[in-house]
Amino acid sequence: MQATKLRLNLAVYLIFIACILLAPMFLEEFALNRLAKFLVFGMLGVAIALSWGYAGILNLGQGLFFGLGAYMLGMSLKLASPTSMAQGSDTPVPDFMLWNAEPGSKTDLCCINGGSWLWIPFQSHWFGILMGMALPTLVAFGLGTVVFRKRIAGVFVSVITLACVLLVRLLIVDAQPLTNGWNGLTDLGVLTIGETEFDPYSATTYYLVAISLSVTLILGRLLTETRSGMILQAIRDDYNRARYLGFEVSSFQVFFFCASALIAGYAGMLYVIVAEFASPSFMELSFSITMVVWAAVGGRGSLIGACIGALLINVIETSVSETPALVEAWKVIIGLIFVLVVLFMPQGIAGLASSVTDRALERFSGRAARLRQADSQHQPAE
Amino acid sequence: MTVAALTLDGLGVAFAGFKAVDGVSIIIEEGELRVVLGANGAGKTTLMDLISGKTRNTSGRVFLYDTDITHWQEHQIARAGIGRKFQIPSVFRELSVRRNLEVASFETPGVFSNLSLRQTAASKRRVEEALELTGLGPQADRLAGGLSHGQTQWLELGMLITQNPKILLLDEPTAGMTQAETHKTTEILNALRGKHTIIVVEHDMAFVREVARRITVMHLGQVLAEGDIKTIEKDERVKQAYLGSKGIM
Ligand SMILES: Nc1ncnc2c1ncn2[C@@H]1O[C@H](COP(=O)(O)OP(=O)(O)OP(=O)(O)O)[C@@H](O)[C@H]1O
Ligand SMILES: [Mg+2]
Repeated sequence: MQATKLRLNLAVYLIFIACILLAPMFLEEFALNRLAKFLVFGMLGVAIALSWGYAGILNLGQGLFFGLGAYMLGMSLKLASPTSMAQGSDTPVPDFMLWNAEPGSKTDLCCINGGSWLWIPFQSHWFGILMGMALPTLVAFGLGTVVFRKRIAGVFVSVITLACVLLVRLLIVDAQPLTNGWNGLTDLGVLTIGETEFDPYSATTYYLVAISLSVTLILGRLLTETRSGMILQAIRDDYNRARYLGFEVSSFQVFFFCASALIAGYAGMLYVIVAEFASPSFMELSFSITMVVWAAVGGRGSLIGACIGALLINVIETSVSETPALVEAWKVIIGLIFVLVVLFMPQGIAGLASSVTDRALERFSGRAARLRQADSQHQPAE
Repeated sequence: MTVAALTLDGLGVAFAGFKAVDGVSIIIEEGELRVVLGANGAGKTTLMDLISGKTRNTSGRVFLYDTDITHWQEHQIARAGIGRKFQIPSVFRELSVRRNLEVASFETPGVFSNLSLRQTAASKRRVEEALELTGLGPQADRLAGGLSHGQTQWLELGMLITQNPKILLLDEPTAGMTQAETHKTTEILNALRGKHTIIVVEHDMAFVREVARRITVMHLGQVLAEGDIKTIEKDERVKQAYLGSKGIM
């Protein structure tokens, strides 16, 4: 029965992946771009499920990693924008840096204002991509090491992550000359790798997102099936028990916290490619909480459940936003959904699906057992 | 020739001046099953906390065979070969019974060495043995959170079996059990006897009579007496301190 369930689970993953890979055949470019955004949110759902569902770490600041990833690639794409080349210098300079230039300074990244040299390596898209993955992971490693070595757990971790995301958002808004503050990075160029251009409305970009999500789902699911994944879930249930079985509890927590941050950072980069902006709003508390709601509704105990939860809520939100009367009410609706899910469906849609299949399998195997019994009763008579 | 598996040398801890365990020296021989008796608050659990690294001792030393393991981290002590069952049974409630046993059987402490989908043959074999010995086979696919109290206790014992430590510290393994359940626990312990060195804290005298050869009695954080069941029953100080004048029972 366990094996059957695993096979069904695999089937769900494959069907989902097939669906998102086939979508371009049915959607025109505007809808495809919108779906790509939703898939990015789905990826954030996966990141939340990995840390909340599997590790028991409720990160209320996942937006920090998403935002860092977004800004890193955003910087590269800002330098690739035509306006950055049109500032009267041989090398690209972001337009907002001119507005914030130090008087009499040279129009060049080296010295237009204090710290602008940090942008120099981002002229390489590869560097932006590398940093988009490395920075969130490193920040998670630093934060995780401090928190989990000190054996901080539960709601305290949530509060710390929440404080971190707000702090970094303040820093980014404050560093106006370097980050364009409130406005964020807009008017971005197109990501170009080798000969390939990732135009946000192209099928190429959609496939980049869809394949990234598929790979994330598969690798993430495999990771949870490793011995480390099992130990992680054991730690979630009772970290003391795990410790006295001889496991170095904090190393597991830090590793999966980093993995979750890496996924979120990667999602942030994809979002910048698809949506063509990076903004401090990514690090607003409400966004991080929204991600948690997606995962709760989809089922935090399941990577694909949380992913589908994110897609579902965004699809609903989009259709609601076409009815003006409901736009205002949306925040109330989503709050209500969250409360209802927490109260009546703590394991979300995935949990519901799982218990339904359990019951179906039980009935099925029960019937099979009865048939076998009937068979063996017949045999002596033959 | 007997070998000392665990040596406690003047072990003690004080909580804000209150000496919960005070200068305890005990030598446990390899393969021995030692029962620790004592009234409520005598310091039995705290003694196990000191051995397993949960509480840092303020005096004395702990030796596992020839290795000084005083002040080691919990997971290092566990890896060195000391397994522990808690007074309040603790298992991984959201995982299946089998998964609980599997996790306990994994042989390395860190995250990277466990990034593999495979489980060793030895670890699989121990899981089957533990299912067999605890009789939890029929429950193997159920969530541990749904087990009865007695079954939860057996599962935790089973996890110690798959963990396969040299020394088992068992804190009241029959607490809250019915007579039949207690009896089954006795059988499990007798099956483990000899293969592991076992230290068990227990109140249930029927159980103690069935398993004990050597008993250590603790009182107010100190060792009051040590010996076989007859010696302990006759000991005047033990009678006064703990057992009343009626003898054990
Ligand atoms: N962390 C602590 N801080 C302060 N006092 C403690 C601490 N741990 C234990 N004690 C005290 O040490 C004494 C011994 O407690 P312990 O739990 O070891 O007793 P026990 O022999 O296991 O009793 P029981 O039979 O009730 O389980 C008690 O008085 C307890 O209140
Ligand atoms: Mg106790």
